[in-house]
Amino acid sequence: MSNWIGFATLVRREFKRTMMTINQVVWPPIITTLLFLFIFGVGLSSSMRQMGGVPYVQFLLPGLVMLNVISSSYDEAASSLFQQRFQLSIQELLIAPLSDLELLLGYLTGSILRGVVIGGLIMLIGLLVVHLEPRNGLALAYFMFFTALLFSSVGMIGALLAKTFDNLAIVTTFFITPLTYVGGVFSSIHVLPPLVQHVSLFNPMLYMVDGLRFGYIGQSDIAPWIDAAVVTTLAVIAFVVAYLMVKKGVNLRV
Amino acid sequence: MNSTAPSDGATSGAVCVRNLVKRYGAVVAVDDLSFDVAPGEFFGFLGPNGAGKTTTINAIVGLATFQSGSISVFGADAVKQFRAARSYIGLSPQEFNFDRYLTVEEILIYQAGYYGIPPSRAKPRAEELMAQFELSDRRTSTYLQLSGGFKRRLALARALVHEPRLLILDEPTAGLDVELRIELWEFLRRINAGGMTIFLTSHYLEEVEMLCSRIGIINRGKLAALADKDTLIAKHGRGSLQDVFLELVGKGAEA
Repeated sequence: MSNWIGFATLVRREFKRTMMTINQVVWPPIITTLLFLFIFGVGLSSSMRQMGGVPYVQFLLPGLVMLNVISSSYDEAASSLFQQRFQLSIQELLIAPLSDLELLLGYLTGSILRGVVIGGLIMLIGLLVVHLEPRNGLALAYFMFFTALLFSSVGMIGALLAKTFDNLAIVTTFFITPLTYVGGVFSSIHVLPPLVQHVSLFNPMLYMVDGLRFGYIGQSDIAPWIDAAVVTTLAVIAFVVAYLMVKKGVNLRV
Repeated sequence: MNSTAPSDGATSGAVCVRNLVKRYGAVVAVDDLSFDVAPGEFFGFLGPNGAGKTTTINAIVGLATFQSGSISVFGADAVKQFRAARSYIGLSPQEFNFDRYLTVEEILIYQAGYYGIPPSRAKPRAEELMAQFELSDRRTSTYLQLSGGFKRRLALARALVHEPRLLILDEPTAGLDVELRIELWEFLRRINAGGMTIFLTSHYLEEVEMLCSRIGIINRGKLAALADKDTLIAKHGRGSLQDVFLELVGKGAEA
């Protein structure tokens, strides 16, 4: 990295874009999560008292945080880069003296920030409802960061491969959303039938949600080091793939 | 000057293109193209639609990769020394490619930032360019709120924001009314007289004939002619650049 100002300018641009679309990308996940907490935590608390040995709302909050870290970081990278490709404004960056790595890191930093900030805000607001302080702040930060890195990188890959906006929705609709919803956000895998439990272990979202839950309530379905190893490995793989695609100029440099 | 590529291998020109080959699958867009543009020159680059003009420009500025050959800009290799090479170039592209989230002022400041210029220097530079191109009153407008003429002015201002040594203009007067075209020509002459190398491609042949001192004509990816303007017209025994162009690229070709 030598063009730090160029990199910082791109991050600033991504932040500005997020702030200009705040009613689309910041408030909806926060409001939706509060509604989830209210309905599940308050409305249904009499029938769903405990999960994983803790009150249900405490179990639920980290799952909802991770749900939003994943969707926010993916959406930012995917929609921002694809929009710039679609409108040709990506050319402003491609002709500038920015290396492929600086370009990639600029987008990823903007997306990671959005994912982590939205996840962090939901966590803070949720704490007012849940009344439990996180047990392991380092684990919380670790899982939020690497999950955001993973899905920002996946978003970049999606934005580089997509031919239409509709293509981007395929990843969200058919992979991210269903895998996250069945990835332990709403329930522990121990309440599932044995066969489904085994199948769930192939769902990468499970390790992210489980790791973050360990950071919050201090308990997890899977050993935290396994969660960390899976998330870190996937994040590194996705980052390297995104970097190689940017370096090759896939759908960037004609 | 003659119609063949320079063979001295010199790389100190403003632009040195050597044996450039660019293919899109089986289609050869640029075929073993070589030419130089000297520092301070007003160079015209012509060709019919699809001849390879924009592809060549894209390869020079870094928007296109290429299979073989080399490009240098003021001695800096466009691939190996891309930071220096790109810093020397200002591009005003054929199609508008502005960031739609930014205002006029921000477009200039952010573009300067991408070139490594800190806000403390970028802001006065943007101010200076907005004043020069009469964009100050529209500083808070976004690209979509500008008329065609102001979009062209903004494209030019943005190309100049990092004080390049080479200005590449791809159809800079497309869609402009006569008054604005004349204003732009005067401006280009003035900055060229001040030492700026200009690389112009335009479908308005009279514009190229009036402004450029040296001309390259490309057809089907190959260099059809490269010469001093007067030499080119005299050599072909024709009265105007348009006649030479039609003779070299075929009368049926679109100018």
